[in-house]
Amino acid sequence: MTDVTLRIDGMSVTVPAGTTIWDAARDAGIDIPVLCHDPRMAPVGVCRLCAVDVGGRTLAAACVRACEEGMEVRTSTEQVQQDRRTLLDLLLSDYPDVSRRERSTGDDALLAQARKHGISNIPYPDGSRASPRGEDHSSQVITVDHQACILCDRCIRGCNELQHNDVLTRSGKGYRTRIAFDLDTPMGESTCVACGECAAVCPTGALTNRALDGIALVSEEET
Amino acid sequence: MSLLAQMVALQEAHGAVTDADLRTLSREAGVPLHRLQGLRSFYPQFSSAPARVPTIAVCRDVVCRMRGGSALDRYLEGDGARDGNMVPVSCLGRCDRAPAALIDERPHQLRFEDAGGDTGSPQAEPLLPAAVRPWGIDPYTEAKSHYGTLREWLARGDVDALIDTLKESGLKGMGGAGFPAGVKWEACRKAEHPVRAVVCNADESEPGTFKDRTILAELPHLVIEGMLLAAWACNAREGIIYLRHEYEPERHALEQALQDARARGTLGANALGPGRAFDIRVFVSPGGYILGEETALLEALEDRRGEPRNKPPFPVTHGLEGQPTLLNNVETLAASVSILHHGADWWHRQGRNGGSGLKLLAVSGDVEQPDVYCVPMGTTARELLEAAGGMRDGAQPLAFFPGGASTNPLPAAALDTPMDWEALREEGSALGSGAVTFVAEGRNLLELVLAQVRFFRNESCGKCVPCRVGSHKAVEMVEAALAGAPEAGLPETLRRLDGTLARTSICGLGQVALAPLVALMDRFPRETWQVLAGGEETR
Ligand SMILES: Cc1cc2nc3c(=O)[nH]c(=O)nc-3n(C[C@H](O)[C@H](O)[C@H](O)COP(=O)(O)O)c2cc1C
Ligand code: SF4
Repeated sequence: MTDVTLRIDGMSVTVPAGTTIWDAARDAGIDIPVLCHDPRMAPVGVCRLCAVDVGGRTLAAACVRACEEGMEVRTSTEQVQQDRRTLLDLLLSDYPDVSRRERSTGDDALLAQARKHGISNIPYPDGSRASPRGEDHSSQVITVDHQACILCDRCIRGCNELQHNDVLTRSGKGYRTRIAFDLDTPMGESTCVACGECAAVCPTGALTNRALDGIALVSEEET
Repeated sequence: MSLLAQMVALQEAHGAVTDADLRTLSREAGVPLHRLQGLRSFYPQFSSAPARVPTIAVCRDVVCRMRGGSALDRYLEGDGARDGNMVPVSCLGRCDRAPAALIDERPHQLRFEDAGGDTGSPQAEPLLPAAVRPWGIDPYTEAKSHYGTLREWLARGDVDALIDTLKESGLKGMGGAGFPAGVKWEACRKAEHPVRAVVCNADESEPGTFKDRTILAELPHLVIEGMLLAAWACNAREGIIYLRHEYEPERHALEQALQDARARGTLGANALGPGRAFDIRVFVSPGGYILGEETALLEALEDRRGEPRNKPPFPVTHGLEGQPTLLNNVETLAASVSILHHGADWWHRQGRNGGSGLKLLAVSGDVEQPDVYCVPMGTTARELLEAAGGMRDGAQPLAFFPGGASTNPLPAAALDTPMDWEALREEGSALGSGAVTFVAEGRNLLELVLAQVRFFRNESCGKCVPCRVGSHKAVEMVEAALAGAPEAGLPETLRRLDGTLARTSICGLGQVALAPLVALMDRFPRETWQVLAGGEETR
């Protein structure tokens, strides 16, 4: 396979043709933020947080866009940063007050990005109050908080592609889209085998380990 | 049969695709349940339980709202729901006979006895096929000469000359994006792998747009011939017409024309010369405007949720099943026949004011005779308005949307703009999907623009964050402003949101969803959108 040479933030990089901008940047030591992407999975480019400037009319999603010969990539212009803040604002406007992931293991990726991008005043109406999306406590192992779901598709790819358990889908369309199990059955009644992959790859408080949630709650109350 | 086709068959047979149906299908087809749920919940044609009474699907979009007035508003938002069988739906592509509805899947025009106060159920008049009329883009005067252009090119055998003619004509894609057709055909011809299919995009669903419907109903043979010429030029394996399911009467005209072409031997075993078979099938969409986006359409053809793909790669190299695919709009294919019949020079001579060729424009809104008009490219909006009988009841024009819901509205002062790609772009709008909606003085432009944004919110596939969440928030914020409670700094927030949607959305839907709102603020007097800025004073 041939190589292509491009510039990322002024740095000249040579990579095999077909390499994504995100991979090329990472190898060059440049960190492009992501929420939906996980290097173990095929990229889907849906959260758009990895948008970078390649000189086009629109920005390119670095996780899915292949490097091209002579490409000039800028990963953090003022415009790009502004757009990332808007995307985070939008996701956070619907986010629940408490993230089960942040509360238990402290590694909620959306909240981490929000801190990194200095998000404070969100100008959009609060969707978590106006039209709550609900929770599913039917599984003994995993708690589902649809309000914290950002539809990054990681659980779906984890369940169907990494584990081949084939239980998870997106259900519905547009703003009403949610994740669902089988024919939109409660998780505990679905064909889920409780392998835990979905909760392991979930970046937010949407799918969390029930046992861990309990433990953290106790330790939090003790301090 | 594809999964989606099987589900459509179930829906048509029992009025629903039930859980039990999906369990059976899952077993028989060997696909997991979640995939079937993903499909059933994505496409509006499917329901999980049958409706108890025959359904009336009533258009809730901008042109019907304009024509239906407050009686339709009340019907959609309350009175109709009382009957229990009325569902508001997105634009049905019958804007020339607004307000439109589907009753038992058949198109009707509604009439309200508007006595103010409570609105009774409307009268519904079935829409019948239009009488045969001559069209400038049809090179034939009688049925027996149909497909003569194809025969000539097959006899001549020079594919390069065909592609050159199309390129010289400068014909652009009429689906909205305006990509040069000749360049696309050539790219397919030169693709590294065999071309999988020629796909005709007949999913026409943008509010105000119904030109393709007219072509399908009245000139189906041109669409078929265009597909045959394209298939010959790039050596494609099969032809697929992706048709929106609301175009049921047009589907019959199309199927009949396909039968006729097969009977003539124009389609079939020797369609493209001795031993070179080619046939065309119709794929009926299970619904949704987003399916008109070319890669969403391909996803549907591959039995998945119609969510647009990240591009590049484009369908000319990675289309159906990952193979090169030629995708064109109905009108592009029909016009290509005229060009290949009369030559590129003829096409250029048809235009005016610097434009080239002929253009079909669907005229709707506050005009006397809403209909499809075939005019020289470059005809001004004012001339088009005159052709459509002028403004209704002698009203004064206030504004017009020159190319469908996704194009920026222009003020009446811009009526002398030629309807052409370049001229409209310079004016800050676009030729878009060939749908021209005229708006009369006295209408609330902000409400009309909001109706367009609502359409995009309703039709967003939900795949990417900016469009899924951003279009919803924009609708909520503008609704709040119209209800008298605007957020402080709303105009600026909307501008910023529009920029992010335009730059980061995966497909054209999200990229343009908020553009008309910003155009309203940029191009129209402040009083038309003052309520958005109301938050400033209260700060
Ligand atoms: C949201 C969306 C909806 C679209 N709907 C249609 C449609 O209904 N019909 C159509 O021909 N093109 C539609 N397009 C444009 C297609 O993606 C594609 O560009 C076109 O079919 C290519 O054919 P053309 O080059 O002949 O125009 C749509 C695009 C977007 C982004
Ligand atoms: S822009 Fe909208 S319609 Fe297009 S992919 Fe994103 S969510 Fe779907």
